[in-house]
Amino acid sequence: MVVTAGRSASQGKGRKRERGTTLFVFLCVLPALLFLAVFLYYPIVETFRISQMKTSGLSEEVFVGLDSYRKLFADEEFLAGLRHVFSWVFWSIVIQLPLSFFIAFGLTYYSNRMSGTLRAIFYLANILPSAITAMLGKMVFAPNYGILVTIGKVLGWKWLASTDFLGNPKLAFWSVFVIATWAYSGFYIIYFMARMEQIPRDLREAAELDGASALRYAWSIVLPDLSYAIRICAVLCTVGSLKLFDLPYLMTTGGPGYATVTLGISLYRHGFVNWNYGKAAAIGVVIFVLSLVFTIIQFTLGKKKDT
Amino acid sequence: MKKFNVLVLICLLFGLIAVPSLFAANVTLTIWGRDIPDDSADHVYVRDLIAGFQAKNPDIKIDYVALGDPGLADKTKITMASGSGLPDIFQTWGGSVMGGYADAGHLLDLTAELKSVPGSVAAQQAMTWKGKIYGVAPFFAVAGIFVNEGIFKTYGLKVPTTVEEFDKVCDTLLSKEIQPFACGEKDKWPALALYMYLTNRYGGDASAQASARKIPYNSDPFVKAAQLYQIWIKKGYFGSTPLGEAYGDAQQLMATGKAAMHITGSWMCAQYSNPEFTDQTLGFYAFPAFKSGGVGTAYDIMGMTDIGFAATKAAASKKDAVVKFMKYAMSVEACQSDPGRICSVPGVKAKSQLTTQASAVFASAKTVTFWWDQDLPPSVTSPLNDTIQSFFLSETDVRKALTSFEALCVENIGPVKK
Repeated sequence: MVVTAGRSASQGKGRKRERGTTLFVFLCVLPALLFLAVFLYYPIVETFRISQMKTSGLSEEVFVGLDSYRKLFADEEFLAGLRHVFSWVFWSIVIQLPLSFFIAFGLTYYSNRMSGTLRAIFYLANILPSAITAMLGKMVFAPNYGILVTIGKVLGWKWLASTDFLGNPKLAFWSVFVIATWAYSGFYIIYFMARMEQIPRDLREAAELDGASALRYAWSIVLPDLSYAIRICAVLCTVGSLKLFDLPYLMTTGGPGYATVTLGISLYRHGFVNWNYGKAAAIGVVIFVLSLVFTIIQFTLGKKKDT
Repeated sequence: MKKFNVLVLICLLFGLIAVPSLFAANVTLTIWGRDIPDDSADHVYVRDLIAGFQAKNPDIKIDYVALGDPGLADKTKITMASGSGLPDIFQTWGGSVMGGYADAGHLLDLTAELKSVPGSVAAQQAMTWKGKIYGVAPFFAVAGIFVNEGIFKTYGLKVPTTVEEFDKVCDTLLSKEIQPFACGEKDKWPALALYMYLTNRYGGDASAQASARKIPYNSDPFVKAAQLYQIWIKKGYFGSTPLGEAYGDAQQLMATGKAAMHITGSWMCAQYSNPEFTDQTLGFYAFPAFKSGGVGTAYDIMGMTDIGFAATKAAASKKDAVVKFMKYAMSVEACQSDPGRICSVPGVKAKSQLTTQASAVFASAKTVTFWWDQDLPPSVTSPLNDTIQSFFLSETDVRKALTSFEALCVENIGPVKK
């Protein structure tokens, strides 16, 4: 009996300690939870709610259900934005990630005294504020005084001197994309390099002993090893493209026409320029859902590949 | 004696604390403006307005916040939507944007206090919404043609006195490798002034009728104006890269003599008169009418407030200070420092030849149409500028573009009343 009583007493103490630990952990997590609830989850829920209202922000809210969504799919600007972000996602993954991989591989595989400097140069574009990057982009592509146009004038290439990179709807998207590739690839390069430098040197030596070329080494050893890092970058790339706003807005304000408009620009214009908060919130919801779907797809595909 | 010394010391201490607070400002007016009050020609008025008012009214402290463009519009809109954190006074162009704030009940009715303040009728009209005056507009801008007199003289050209004459003038300029019009349509709004004029010259008060929903925006005057605009664009009158050039680029084209005409607001008078900005000699003229077949006349002018101020309900308890500020903003003393704008206040002399010419155009006006992108409901103003920008794309069917815009207006303003 005495033994049993002692055991139950110690069990009680253990439970109390456990409860104390749980409470302590809960209190530690509470500020972060509150922060997330107020600044992340509540705005998401509120955005869903506003997307079902018709409101200018100043007028009273009128419940319209899914009408804003229905109208969005007849809205030329929104549809152009949707097309552009899908293109942006596709071309970012097809161009930016492979380009970053090869640059990172080159800097790691052929590492020398210049590697550090080159790494800094590639990363520099990533740390520049978007406004500066956009200004540099405009300096490159502007008509009359832009760098490319000036080169065209100096070399007597009329076709280049008279090309309106940012004013021609067929070229504007690609002009912005080139600047974005330069600006955003730096992050992926650094990320890939960090992972590549963790691959044991023995593997490379063994591959070299087996006569593997640099390309073969990259394909058979580095690429599989980086699959998770690439997946992370692909997700970041996708979500970033869906939310894209700053560079196209600063370089072309989404024009000419709707040639470079994105979902982010469309959201801003509907909400803050056209005073149509319901439609703007609906675009926000579309961006949220698309980001969620793309992220789930990419991780599901990645998991299947891993197994 | 000791007690007396302590008493004197206490009195001195009290005096040190209390006296400055007696002289300190007892009212603070928070003003949101666009421009930084510095020495830039565009900002001189705001700088001197604040300094001058402060010197004359030491009991009223001005807390001026420069928010830039579009910062001023964005912040004002967001604050008005939330209804809290409103400034006492904010800079505005009046029209429907200000009207939206008034309808939401955020503005202070100053009709009784400001109705007798001397100023131009058009300026007062811009600051009036549904019969109530909410502020003042010391400066007004009108759109007209800035003409490079030197280029016109060199090639023996005359400033067009009819719309039909533009073709001959522009073709001559093109043959001399001079861009006829500077525009800067990358920014979307710069093409509006010419479109407004062309629409008026074809259809008179078509815009007023369309906004009152008596005719649609794809009716004849709008389509004809867009078609003529597109013909001029295709002929190269706006250069080969109008969509790649921003408004600043257009100014540079004028400043360097690469373009001969610029149809824009008179706010450019100060800059175009500044020898540090340009060595070209420019003139300002009213946009002409059609020789035949048109309705509008050269006396139908497009324009709006250049600088205006309105008060919010947040200033209800400081109405006297607000009215003092508004009246000072409309005084000759405050306005005379501005180097180039058209002043709404009688007695302020124009500082440059260009401003004198622009003031004459304004004075000749029989009707003044406010900028559509300021006067129409905000839900359609940005699509309006998008529609006008689309005229610059050669593949655009202007009638189709205007029909899409009309559909948007039906949704947001209402259908045409039969």
